[in-house]
Parts: sequence; structure tokens; C-alpha cells
Amino acid sequence: MLRGELGEAKQFAMEVVSKVGDAVGADELVPIKSAHVLAHYSSLHDAGVEVLERFADSGGRFAVPTSVDPASIDLQNWRSFGIPEDYARQQFRLCDAYARMGGMRCWTCVQYQVCNLPKEGGVVAWAESSAVVFANSVLGSRSNKITAGMDIACAILGLTPRFGMLLDENRRSSVIFKLYLRELTDLDYRSVGFFVGRNAGARVPSLAGLPPSVTSDQIKHLGAGAAAAGPVTMIHFPGITPGSRTTAEASGGEKVEEIEITRSSLSDIESDLNQSSELPDLVAFGVPHLSINELGELAKQLEGRKLKKMVKMYAYTSSQAYDMAERTGISAIIERTGARISHSTDAEISPLKALGFNTVLTNSAKLAEIVSSEGEVKVGYSPQKEIIEKVTS
Amino acid sequence: MKPWLERGRGLVMGSAWGEALVSRGAFTFAHGVDPHTGVVTDIRSDVRGMNVKGKILFYPFGKGSTTASSWFLETVRLENNPAAIVTEAVDLSAVIGSVMARVVYGKEIPVITGVSRTAYSALKSGDKVFLDAGRGEVRAEE
Repeated sequence: MLRGELGEAKQFAMEVVSKVGDAVGADELVPIKSAHVLAHYSSLHDAGVEVLERFADSGGRFAVPTSVDPASIDLQNWRSFGIPEDYARQQFRLCDAYARMGGMRCWTCVQYQVCNLPKEGGVVAWAESSAVVFANSVLGSRSNKITAGMDIACAILGLTPRFGMLLDENRRSSVIFKLYLRELTDLDYRSVGFFVGRNAGARVPSLAGLPPSVTSDQIKHLGAGAAAAGPVTMIHFPGITPGSRTTAEASGGEKVEEIEITRSSLSDIESDLNQSSELPDLVAFGVPHLSINELGELAKQLEGRKLKKMVKMYAYTSSQAYDMAERTGISAIIERTGARISHSTDAEISPLKALGFNTVLTNSAKLAEIVSSEGEVKVGYSPQKEIIEKVTS
Repeated sequence: MKPWLERGRGLVMGSAWGEALVSRGAFTFAHGVDPHTGVVTDIRSDVRGMNVKGKILFYPFGKGSTTASSWFLETVRLENNPAAIVTEAVDLSAVIGSVMARVVYGKEIPVITGVSRTAYSALKSGDKVFLDAGRGEVRAEE
């Protein structure tokens, strides 16, 4: 009986993965080192609950270390964030099915900073576009952007079709972006990424001119901006990306188009994404999730200030960084201003409209892009310091 | 319009007959179609306000979030899904959504790719279309 049950989940998984392999003309399925899957109710809906439960009920178990993107609710404090009971119940059904299949319980979009850090050169099957950019560009792993449904199937089989970014010939850079700016704000990193994503199209870009002091957090946000603006799954950062010491090495010695990024390129992006100058009812930081360092920086900027009435400020992070912020007093500083830290969830997959938010202000290009394309909630896009000036006293 | 026949590559098998819904631009179910009605809500879509339910849905390529397959599957659960999908470039969300639809809900939603926008440039939303993924054929009739 158990054998038969195990068989059913794997059979379903194989059907999904092999159909995808056929569709993209993959010659074979190859082993993966890890998987990262989606299990948030806002996108998976009731159908997704049924799919995950079907996989779990029929004996599906993850064959490789598997992490998961944020949930649609703060899994610990959801009641105090005003999440309706029936909404939470569906999210917890997804959590339960995911846990039964043996997934790691770190609900985050920055798994590579928390619980899932593959070695250079390994193949992984990750959903979450911003993490895929980080995997290909910084870690030197190889991942395609894995679609919902296929992510679970790859994790159960421990296999993925060999195509796209798994192949050397598709990883070479065919356009170079050159950054001619000295000082970059937090917002600039996001806007640079967005500009690259929008202008690279289907090409793999390289980006030259980042300051040597660039941090993994800044690259995380840059990559998220790029992936939100277009199909980009890899950016060569000369000196950072394994195998790409120079832009010439990134493009395999080929002569390719060069595009300059100037202050006015970034102003264009800002005016596109910044569609509201109203006082927001929600300020959202942490799309993708803030690291403990970024939470510390936020606490420094907020210290001694008070959030204006009618404005809520949520800083989204992983459960691990949340716990550390609690222990080190960072949470206390942030919460004294009236702001809150929310973990295991994120703004772009929360039911913002249902929670009564009409205007969101953020320094995340990814969040600004998603919210503006839905057209239900107005969005403003500004640097963190300006936002804090605006909404605190 | 004149009878018209185009060949593509069948990715998910089956046949379907119905009215065409023709999107000239990139298309996504994620945040782009309301699963409870089948109505296209994407503010950037040229078929915004139209309904995918029961239609032969044409679009050149997918875009946006990789959760589109789940949004597609939710239209299936609520019985507001298109009858078939025809694209120019492979859209994995359509393929995965359709495979899951058959396994989970027992519904057959054929998918054909490789039918270019120019090939169906004369086709309009509302035209009657017959499609056979096994043969890789899409046919419009008066």
C-alpha cells in the first residue's frame, strides 16, 4: 500500500517534469542539490492547497534539501496583523502539506542568507525570481526560474530538466551595462537592477561599475529589481560572479552591445515606479526580506522617532533574523517608534487590499512593480531615509 | 474570415472547439485573470475586460510571476478556464497548469505552441476555432 502511495506522488511529479522537459526540448533530467518552492495562499489559491495536499497525501517526500518562499501571513503573529481566520486556515493547510513532505521551515525569499546555500557549480531548482538571480550570479549555482507546481515536482524527484541556464552556452553575457555613478543610495541599487532587467530583455547582462564595497544585501535588492522588470535570471558582476573576472570573460570574448546607466536612467525608473506622493497608510520594507544587518540599520535610522498616526510601518524578514533582532534589542528600538517587524511573510504576497491598505510606500522596486500592475493599491517609491523623514516625527 | 489552418507543436494533447480570444501582447494569469469570473484584469493587457472561460486563448508568450500556473489552475477549479491555449513561444505556466488540471480535476485543456502572431494576425476574438493538439493543428472556420 505504502509502495503504491509513494508511487502515485512520484508518478504525478514525473508527469509534470517530463512534460516540461518535452516542451523545452531538454535532452535529459539531471540531479539537483536543493529545491526552493512556493506555498503561499495568495498565489496558490484553493487549487494550490489541493495540489500540495494531493502530493503529500499520496506519499510525496522531498528528495533533496528544500526551502520555501514566504507565506501569505505572519505564521506567528497573524492575528495581530488582522488576518481573517479562514484565510489563515488555508495558509496553514499549505504549511502542513509542505512540512509533511519534509521541507525546511524557513519561510523566506532569501534562503541563501538563511538556510539553503548551495555550493558553486551545483544545479538547483528554485522558484522565486530574485533568489534565482542570486544563485546564478553570486553563488555560481545553476538554476532556471522554476514555475509553481513544477517546483514541488522537482523537489520530490530530486531532478530537473537540463535546459536554459543549466547550459554553458546560455549563461554567456550578451549585453554590458556600465554604471557611471559614484554614490549609490539604497534606492539606486533597486533602480539599477530594474533598469538592467527592463533593458536586457531575453539577453544575459553584465554589470560593470559597482563600488568594491558592494554588499550581498545590495546585490540581493539589485537582483530582485532586475527580475521584477524582465525575464533576467542571471547578471554577471565582474569580480564577483564565479568565472567572470571581467566583462570580456563574461561574454566569452565576444563584442557585445554596451548600455550606459546614468543618473537620468535611474530618474526615469523612479518616476515610473513612484506613482503616489500621498502620505501612505502602509510603509513596507523588506521585499525581498531584510537581513539582520539591514534590520540593525533600520533601527539606527528610526531610533528616537515616532511613527505618524494613521501610518503603519512593517519591516519584513525571515524568522531567523526576527529571532536575532528580538535577542539583540533591535526589535525593541523599531517597535518603540510604532513600527513592527513581520516574519515568514512578505508584502507582495499579503492580502494588502483586504487588510484595508490603499497606499503603500516602499523602497522596493519589486513591490512597487507588482502593486502598480495590479492597479488596486497606489504605490510610492522612495529611498528609506526619505520615507522615514516623511512618516515619522 | 477565410478558412485558415496553421500548424504548431502540441504540448498537451486533446482537441477543442470554441470562440477565439486573441491577446496580441504578452499574457499572464498571475494577478491578470480573476479566477472567480475568468475576466482578464491585467491593466497592461489588450484583452482586459474580456473573459477566458471556454475560449481558445491565443497569446504570443507569457510574462510575469512564476505563480501563473497556480492562477490558471484556480480558474480550472472554479470552472472558468479556457478550453485550450495557443502560444508562439513555450509558456511553461500553461503547460504545467494544464498537466495539473488533468491529474487533479480530470480536465483536458490542450496546449499548442509555435503558432506565430503573424500566422493568426487576421484572427479576431469571437471567431470560431477548432484545435487538435495531437495533429498540432489550429483551424478557423466561417
